[in-house]
Amino acid sequence: MLGRADFRPFASQGRRTIVAILATFAVFSALSLTLSIWTTKGSQHRAAVVEVAARQRTLAERYVNEVLLARAGARVDPAKTASILARSADALLNGGSAPSVWGDDDETKLTAAKGAIYRAQLKQERLLFKDTTTTGNALLTHHSVTDVPLSAHEKLSMINPIGRLRVLAALTSNVSLNAARTIASADDHNVNHLIIVQAVLGALGLFTSLLLGWALIVATRRQTAHFRSLVTSSTDLVLVLGADACRYVSQSISTMVGRAEAEMLGDGFEAFVHSDDRAAVRAAAAYGGRREIVFRLLNQSGEWRHLEAHVTDLRQDKSVRGVVLNARDVTERVQLEEQLTHQAFHDNLTGLANRALFRDRLDQALARAERSDRLLAVLLVDLDGFKQVNDSLGHDAGDQLLQEVARRFRSVVRPSDTVARFGGDEFALLLEEITEHEAVGLTQRLLDQLAAPVAIAGREVVLGASVGVVLGPGSGQGEELIRDADVAMYAAKDAGRGRYEIFCPEMAKELGELLGIEHELRLGLQRGEFSLHYQPEIDLETATIVGAEALLRWHSPTRGLVPPARFIPIAETTGLILPLGEFVLRQACAQAAEWRAAGLVPESFVTWVNVSAKQLGGSGLHAVVQQALEKTALPPSALGLEVTETAVVEQGAAGNRARAELKILHEQGVRIAIDDFGTGFSSLGQLRHFPIDMIKVDYTFVQGAVHDAKDAAITANLVNLAHALGLVAVAEGIESQGQLASLQGFGCDLGQGFLFARPMPADQLKDLLVNGAPQFAPDEAVA
Amino acid sequence: MTDAMRQLSLRLGRLSVVVLSVLVAAACSASGRIAGAGGTLVRVNERDFRLTVTPNHVRAGDVLLAVRNHGPDTHELIIVRSGSRLPLRLDGLTVDERALSAVTAASLDGAGPGSVGQVRVHLAHGRYELFCNMAGHFMAGMHGELVVD
Repeated sequence: MLGRADFRPFASQGRRTIVAILATFAVFSALSLTLSIWTTKGSQHRAAVVEVAARQRTLAERYVNEVLLARAGARVDPAKTASILARSADALLNGGSAPSVWGDDDETKLTAAKGAIYRAQLKQERLLFKDTTTTGNALLTHHSVTDVPLSAHEKLSMINPIGRLRVLAALTSNVSLNAARTIASADDHNVNHLIIVQAVLGALGLFTSLLLGWALIVATRRQTAHFRSLVTSSTDLVLVLGADACRYVSQSISTMVGRAEAEMLGDGFEAFVHSDDRAAVRAAAAYGGRREIVFRLLNQSGEWRHLEAHVTDLRQDKSVRGVVLNARDVTERVQLEEQLTHQAFHDNLTGLANRALFRDRLDQALARAERSDRLLAVLLVDLDGFKQVNDSLGHDAGDQLLQEVARRFRSVVRPSDTVARFGGDEFALLLEEITEHEAVGLTQRLLDQLAAPVAIAGREVVLGASVGVVLGPGSGQGEELIRDADVAMYAAKDAGRGRYEIFCPEMAKELGELLGIEHELRLGLQRGEFSLHYQPEIDLETATIVGAEALLRWHSPTRGLVPPARFIPIAETTGLILPLGEFVLRQACAQAAEWRAAGLVPESFVTWVNVSAKQLGGSGLHAVVQQALEKTALPPSALGLEVTETAVVEQGAAGNRARAELKILHEQGVRIAIDDFGTGFSSLGQLRHFPIDMIKVDYTFVQGAVHDAKDAAITANLVNLAHALGLVAVAEGIESQGQLASLQGFGCDLGQGFLFARPMPADQLKDLLVNGAPQFAPDEAVA
Repeated sequence: MTDAMRQLSLRLGRLSVVVLSVLVAAACSASGRIAGAGGTLVRVNERDFRLTVTPNHVRAGDVLLAVRNHGPDTHELIIVRSGSRLPLRLDGLTVDERALSAVTAASLDGAGPGSVGQVRVHLAHGRYELFCNMAGHFMAGMHGELVVD
């Protein structure tokens, strides 16, 4: 999940804009400063020029005075003044240093004059000055001034030499003054230019900054809009809760509830929350504590929708100041959970309790019976002749018959009694607070009820039943009572059907047989009486074999082939399941490695091994698996473990160990599948927390998928659920083309069942692998 | 800043006057008569240190004097009705304008080289003297005659 700080698509743009604004200011400020310095320097130089130029005027007048004084015999040196005037004029025009005049001023460095008018004036000044000094010299040397040639286009008509000299000096003085004015005015121009350029620069800088600022605002708005649209267009339901009021609801929530946003804000929101859930929502808002809550919200059609919300405490975040609930509608999942839980405790066909619920009720009843010192009775009922009905009239007739039987059972028992169907044609009844006499009477009524004919498929069917009765609490162990009832039931069957037997210790002979199995199991393990069969797993799209499930077989020399259902429970209760499990793992790994080495199976081929809750709950399964993998050099990904849902979700130490073991194995690469999925204590919400790759949909749903709409819906939902969680869905127990077609319709990935292949010895599977995948033809040997 | 701005606007104002004058002068130059104004155009060209008046004979009435300074120095223009020699001030460098105030038809202030100025005057019959009265300029030869018939 992304942290808040990681996702900022526009932050860099904002930073860039601010940098651009600062850079603009910097550039314009630098330009402006450079210009000012340059202009000021220029001004300083022009000030010096103006000073020298203005000085020329005074010098010209001084020269005339000095000439006149010299003529009157005073001790003055007009020639020196003339020299200063001439050198200054040169410096002004062509550059150089203008000499000091008064002694206390310094020489002034000047650059050559620029500007046509200014230069013309300076040239004119030089010519006029030359005419002035020539006239001055003529006057001092008593020569005729009218003979002095004039060079600056002046036409002097007067004859008086002093008058001529003064006019020439005045002309010089004039042009000097005007040259100084010209340069001063040029300086004014420059200052004015500077002002204009500075103003333009400032305006440009301001304009650019405003433009960038505007861009920044637009980017910020766009960012806000972007996040708003992310929130509003998201199907996620987002709420922000303040301490005592709702601050924000997303569009998706108002749409779901069918009310305007304004109605939901403030105190209004709580009215739409289920009263049982208000405390949880309030607590989340007040403390922001729990990370996840589930609550119900009333939608516009008046249904309660279950929302699973992730709670984020952003009360310290100034931009939110509240607790944020990111919710998802999990109603479908919750409904499926409820359905599966019901399914897990009830027989789908008859609506009776199933074995799990019966066991639960029996345990409770036993506890009550021990406290109250009252008897209870357990009845096991096996219908006689049901198989014939099923075979001759078909499954539907069989199902109808079972439903009728269930109805009759219910009509006989008291409301407090429990009637259960264990599967097939086997029923169980739990009668509490009863005497032996009453139990016998009820059993008889039961048999009488069953004896009445049932009209099925246009035929009258008469059923009988064998009933085993056991009275408790006995040892107080539920399983023992059921077993005893089973023994009594077999005794009734043996004694000729259509009757009941009450369990008595003599029947324990059969029990002894059960106990004998444990001893034989131990011997069998030592003698190597166990072997593995493999049932292929088929890719329903490509019709290729993609894996195989390893199944344990026991060939007892005295009992023949013993079905797993007979010895696995005993192995589990006696702990023999651990060495048996190790045997299966080693054997299966060795076999898988052999197939791989022979190139019979693809890289992705997985061999699946069933692991019991006992194996998982004890520590060290991962060590056993690793050993088996290392010994056979099989990559972990080629091995899969099938575990039951119950083993994974189990609470307490054993459950924690089981989950830890699975996590380690999963991290190593071993595939994990949930077996018999849909039959356990389903908590689909937890499923995504488990390290699993695959779920195997229980065969009861698969087989019902064709003719039972409810089973079909559940199967489809389970497949969808698997896909939603990124898991592979496998269907167990596919026996007919119809079932296959349904499952393909649901998008189920893999399948397993008699339709493709029965479990078979490794050699046979090898042949199958060599000769290619089986076609989807119904197996003729279906039992 | 405000001084500078004021100067700037002043200069811009002057510039527009100059441009306008040039345009008017250009428009009138072809005919010698001022279009729409009913008068005679007289060009006065000033340069160091000459002053030419073209034409130097006009009929009495409105006269537009278009004055161009060719520089390099600054020059002004004064037009007086006078048949005799102009009186000088005591400094011996400039004409005594005060003494001539009664006969002064018009005057233009000093303007730098390249500048063009104009003045409209109603001239009666007589002889007119046009001159620049910057110090020494009259004495150096900057004067011309306009005869009005």
